[in-house]
Amino acid sequence: MTAALPPEALRDPRFQPVDIGHDRYAALTDPDTAFWALVDKNRVGEGLDPATLAAYHQKADGFRQELHALRFGLKPSGVYLNPTERCNLDCTYCYLPDTQRSGGKHMPVGTLLTSLGKLRDYFRSVMPEGRKPRAIFHGAEPLMNQAAVFAAIDVFGDDFVFGLQTNGTLLDDAALDFLTSRNVSIGLSLDGPVAGITDATRRTWGGKSVHDKVLRAMEKLRGYGSWSVITTCTTENLPYLTRMVELFHAHEVPTCMLNTLRCTLPGARGVKPADGDMDKAFFAALDRSHELYRETGRKLMVANFANILIGILAPTARRLMCDISPCGGGRAFFALAADGGLYPCSEFIGLPRFNGGSLLTGGVEAALDSAAFREVTTRDVDRFSPCGDCAIRHFCGSPCPAEAFEMNGGMEKIGAFCDFYKEQVNYALRLIADGKADDYLWDGWDEGTETVFALG
Amino acid sequence: MSQIVSQAAAGTVATQATVAPQAQPAAPTIASRKSCNPDGIGLSHYVLMDRKAAK
Repeated sequence: MTAALPPEALRDPRFQPVDIGHDRYAALTDPDTAFWALVDKNRVGEGLDPATLAAYHQKADGFRQELHALRFGLKPSGVYLNPTERCNLDCTYCYLPDTQRSGGKHMPVGTLLTSLGKLRDYFRSVMPEGRKPRAIFHGAEPLMNQAAVFAAIDVFGDDFVFGLQTNGTLLDDAALDFLTSRNVSIGLSLDGPVAGITDATRRTWGGKSVHDKVLRAMEKLRGYGSWSVITTCTTENLPYLTRMVELFHAHEVPTCMLNTLRCTLPGARGVKPADGDMDKAFFAALDRSHELYRETGRKLMVANFANILIGILAPTARRLMCDISPCGGGRAFFALAADGGLYPCSEFIGLPRFNGGSLLTGGVEAALDSAAFREVTTRDVDRFSPCGDCAIRHFCGSPCPAEAFEMNGGMEKIGAFCDFYKEQVNYALRLIADGKADDYLWDGWDEGTETVFALG
Repeated sequence: MSQIVSQAAAGTVATQATVAPQAQPAAPTIASRKSCNPDGIGLSHYVLMDRKAAK
């Protein structure tokens, strides 16, 4: 096989070497296909061995087509619903303007039901039969408009798979019974292991703590099949991420996200951690989650990292659509604001420039084709610097376009945590090298996938 | 391909010279890829990791 290869193929210029910080391995990636191989770090200068390279060349076109379809060929299969502009909390880093959250409007129940009917019809026109679209209530605080949300879930329970992201403060027993009896996926938010830390960024408009209310909701959700908790990492809670992981594991939280905050609005930038600080705290928390798994046999999924890992192992199986370019906003999903406007993602709701028109008077197709949406759906890391030369650009995607636009000055700018993403990819590749990747993913994560390349 | 690009988060991309091959056996190459029909719709405000969880 070696003899059949032209000499230039043995040093395929498409491959970029990456020092992943492992004692034996370095990575070679072809960014155009999101293909990677881990090779002996002392021989990385030799490139891929001829047999691996030949096998790759046989598959490369297929990988390229697959990645292109994932990046440019999807039809929306989910919608993020904002049933109200209001929130009972005033979190430091919120991506929604405080004028909306403090004095905004609810979407009337009739409007929400009419909207869901129109959305159902749209999704039926683009999704395969037998697959339901997902509809996620979030906000602001969706349970501020609980009557409308619950009416919608009851009326459209056969048409959508529903989820709810809530701050947890309004989840009383009746609300929990309603949601869990209908198998609604529930996401909570908590920023600290103790009230003093949570209160630094998440509190009521009057400054009251909500920490204990969220803990009570977590306790009531223990054992439920589909729930998660988001921690937004800031300068205020970064030293406590390991304790967050311990708290979540002790409460049998199945899935958490330890998210970098989005720097779309100025308030968030005041509590933005430096990338290096984020690395240390985040990886210490990941390491602790792994220790707890080893000690107990029970996994706490850190979903934002798991998604990086899956994006490397199986690009099309990724669940989160932020870490890919173009991101999922306006193509895998879109958002409906409480005033009926359509946006590529809720992250843009505070930015009128990205309003793609009204759902009820314009429709989804018009919004998807609008200049507002296209500005987001054409943001392509292949086409701007420094991402265009980056070996891992299709494991990262340079999120998020909203913060790139608002914080860094344009769509063709990087997101807020470039170096942190590089370190996450390095960490993920080290886990693969050490045969530990599955420890960080849920059991059966690859059910329904097909192995299309395997070596080592 | 004579240098390894370091992705270390040091603010700038650094480089380091390739270390000469040593006597020990080379580490075996690892490469894999899985494929499926994409259906992810999660974002940083909400996650549902298990594809089957809420179906």
